[in-house]
Amino acid sequence: MAHLDFDVYEVFAQPDSMSPHVHVFNVLASSPDMALALAEENFFRRESYTNLWVVRRDHIHQLGFKDRDGFQKTVKSYRTTDDYKYLRDKWRYYREHPMRPGGGEASERVDD
Amino acid sequence: MADEVMSDQEAYFLERIDRGDRIEAEDWMPEEYRNQLVRLIAMHAVSEIMGALPEKEWVPRAPTLYRRLAITAKVQDEVGHGQLLIRVAEDLMRPWGKNREDIMSDLFSGRLKYHNVFHMATPTWADAGIIGWLVDGAAVITQGMSLTCSYAPYARALQRIVEEEGFHIQHGESICMALAEGTPMQRAMLQDALNRWWPALLMFFGPPEKSQLSTNQLRNIRWRIRSKTNEELRQRFFTKYVHRIWSLGLTIPDPTLRQDPETKEWTYQQPDWNEFRAIVNNQGPRSVARLGLRSTTYAEGEWVRAMISRSSMAV
Repeated sequence: MAHLDFDVYEVFAQPDSMSPHVHVFNVLASSPDMALALAEENFFRRESYTNLWVVRRDHIHQLGFKDRDGFQKTVKSYRTTDDYKYLRDKWRYYREHPMRPGGGEASERVDD
Repeated sequence: MADEVMSDQEAYFLERIDRGDRIEAEDWMPEEYRNQLVRLIAMHAVSEIMGALPEKEWVPRAPTLYRRLAITAKVQDEVGHGQLLIRVAEDLMRPWGKNREDIMSDLFSGRLKYHNVFHMATPTWADAGIIGWLVDGAAVITQGMSLTCSYAPYARALQRIVEEEGFHIQHGESICMALAEGTPMQRAMLQDALNRWWPALLMFFGPPEKSQLSTNQLRNIRWRIRSKTNEELRQRFFTKYVHRIWSLGLTIPDPTLRQDPETKEWTYQQPDWNEFRAIVNNQGPRSVARLGLRSTTYAEGEWVRAMISRSSMAV
């Protein structure tokens, strides 16, 4: 039997227009059209989607294995809101005890 | 393996397995790990493809249009699962210069086996129901375990497959429920089908280990290809299904079947394991007919594969 000249296509689907295309799986096909048809048949018999992409696998560039390990990030709380959780309590406190204009202790007569 | 000096690559591989990391197709892996995966996944793939055939026989004979649509969808799902798994196996076989054509020719030559249950006959509509309910139920117990498999592409394929099996099981439950609530003849049909399938269902999980695991099994557990023994999986099947079967007023064709109230362990009549070996070696009731159908269809479809090939070979 002649060797079949097919390519592996990676399939990406976008579930709705606010979502990114997400990798689904892959298919073996001889053309992008066939890959799209197979992707629909294989992965979307039930689920709906907004768009499908197929990309020939040899057109995808990825980090080698050694690099993938480096994806484990160290904790960087200064880049996230994690370090600012105390703000909620502060805001609650100052709603009840507003600062005086110009600073200093909270005023006795808040409404004035 | 213990006596050999472990290479740095091997040590690092094991370290990754131990910390629950999953292996991708392009990562370094021991050759025997690749071997075991190809064996397991190719067997699973052709079982899905051969598994479509017993139920396919009921597509034109389904009792209502709705049932026909549902069983057609299920048969299509099974073939789709075969497609996913063949891709996973192919990526693993690539370093050997092999592909899906080798998988199919190994199936036809009898070198590659498929699950015992798909060698069995499906003479009535109740058989179609039992396959959906209990055969797929048994399959989900095995596949549920394999979701934790250390080989990531297989685990990802299983995630999709197990999701659809949920529909298959309820499709089967619905058929069995309707027959159980039906006429005495329909109830008898369901009981007959259960009697026919019971030994095959027990065989599905493979022979019990009797407290000694083979080196193969131990290694596959070490590599997190599997996490449970055949017997542990079979016990889960009993726990999940025996009471349900009884609740439909059906009799399980094993008078010795009982659960120890303390240990929760089920004791049961062993199926004939020699018969099991004969069945998976293509001496089951429908082995020859179904393999014949599969290989004829494959040969007849050759011109289609040639035509859609990228180089568009002349036909």
